Amino acid sequence: MNSKFTDRIETVLMPIAGAISNNRYLLAIRDGFMLSMPLLIIGAMSLLLANLPIPGYSDFMKNIFGTGWDSFFRIPFNCTMNIMAIFVVFGVANSLANYYEVDGISTSVIALVCFFIITPFSMNFTPEGSTTAYNVTGIIPLDWIGSKGLFVGMFTAIFATEIVKVVAKRGWTIKMPEGVPPTVAKAFSALIPGVIALYAFNMVRLGFSFTSFGTIHEFIFKILQKPLTSLGDTYVASIVANFFMQLFWVFGIHGPNVVGAVTQPIWLATSADNLAAFQAGKELPHILTQQYEDLFIQLGGSGATLSLCLSMLFLCKSEQCKKLGKLAIIPGLFNINEPIVFGLPIVLNPIMMIPFIIVPLVLTTICYTSMSLGLVPKPSGVLIPWTTPPIIGGFIICGIKGAILQIVEIIVSFLIYLPFIKMVDKQYYLEETTTGETKEAVQTC
Amino acid sequence: MINVRLFCSAGMSTSMLISKMENAAKERGLEIVVDAFPEAEMAKHLEDVDAVLLGPQIRFALNKAKKLCEPKGIPVEVINPMNYGKMDGSKVLDQALNMINN
Repeated sequence: MNSKFTDRIETVLMPIAGAISNNRYLLAIRDGFMLSMPLLIIGAMSLLLANLPIPGYSDFMKNIFGTGWDSFFRIPFNCTMNIMAIFVVFGVANSLANYYEVDGISTSVIALVCFFIITPFSMNFTPEGSTTAYNVTGIIPLDWIGSKGLFVGMFTAIFATEIVKVVAKRGWTIKMPEGVPPTVAKAFSALIPGVIALYAFNMVRLGFSFTSFGTIHEFIFKILQKPLTSLGDTYVASIVANFFMQLFWVFGIHGPNVVGAVTQPIWLATSADNLAAFQAGKELPHILTQQYEDLFIQLGGSGATLSLCLSMLFLCKSEQCKKLGKLAIIPGLFNINEPIVFGLPIVLNPIMMIPFIIVPLVLTTICYTSMSLGLVPKPSGVLIPWTTPPIIGGFIICGIKGAILQIVEIIVSFLIYLPFIKMVDKQYYLEETTTGETKEAVQTC
Repeated sequence: MINVRLFCSAGMSTSMLISKMENAAKERGLEIVVDAFPEAEMAKHLEDVDAVLLGPQIRFALNKAKKLCEPKGIPVEVINPMNYGKMDGSKVLDQALNMINN
């Protein structure tokens, strides 16, 4: 491949990858989600335990534990998925604060309070069978502290931390009169970032209360979160995201890491929407979720390389391919494929990069179509680790049809990779045997 | 005791290198401890470290890593991609040892 061409692309891609991965806000958001993910997974899995798609399961449980047995599993779900904005605020603020080298915990608490300041402590409640809506006060509505509050949460954490950082860096202090011990002065000064942050957010709350939206939550949700999640749920979004992920990988850059900085909040929001609908027994709204991407598109790793790995292990002749196949099969079962990406290599390999980019696009076409047509259920939104092996993962999210879909995908990706890996294998085999012959010839001489 | 830290996106692919490097070191009679972590947590894991290696897929993080490591006198490099792909513990160990001895 023309190395000047690849160099030119690399000079464009590297700064973009660097800019996105090093952007302190995207980093803080990513870290904030990383903090929350284990809890969200536990919560989502708990909901799954309340709803296992095994016939007879719920009757079995009812007989042992009585009706209402599932509330035991709904509680961890409620306390994680339905209040996720809270940990996200904490996590994002903590991460950004550490980046700025200001105290993580106190900043996160300030950010959390700011979040509560702009969250209404009341809601309209219409009791069953009634037509009057009562305004209930003295409560914190779950509505806005779950996934619907994600974007507000992220912005709150960022702005609150910025305020704290500015105050800290400028060293604003309260001038105390002579004779006041420095520790006392310090204690008062510690109040300054909190006061400024809280009242700044209070002003925001006040401002929005005069608008037709009522709260900033309503505003951001309607203007930003809802359109972005709709946009992020389209077939085109999946194609574009996956194309760029694979393109970055081809240049040796961790594609999902870079593209994920943008897609993760959106696809987490869609997962949460689906999960809420799943719990309520309603129709699932979204097709694209983080699990759709992790388990159906990145099957065996980015580029759906599990089938490639199997080809290498069983169908290749060259030592290099066979050895790599053996090395990569176990991590591949857990969707980790760096050994193949760097070892085959796929990076900067003009032959392998073609299927590597095409396969995910083909797979997402198959998956998106089958889910749109209702052939396969949409992802339930249950969060599971991205390392969950294929077939098991598909089953957990979409039931038996999900597992079958993954099998279909393995076959399709196998067929697409086959001619290309055969080409590469032939090349390597030739190199290996020719060098062998030359060695023998030298020895006999 | 030589302490090497590996960082990549989730710390998963580099963790596969850990046992390979430690075995290679044992064969040479060297005492070495290798640990792998996600790159996002680098700042927390820089105590008593002799060398830091980054997975090649996050090589754009090299500058950030240098900013964290150089003030502490810790050399940072990106793992050679081919050695990483093949999970060649011996060659990556060579790279780490080169960094420490220079």
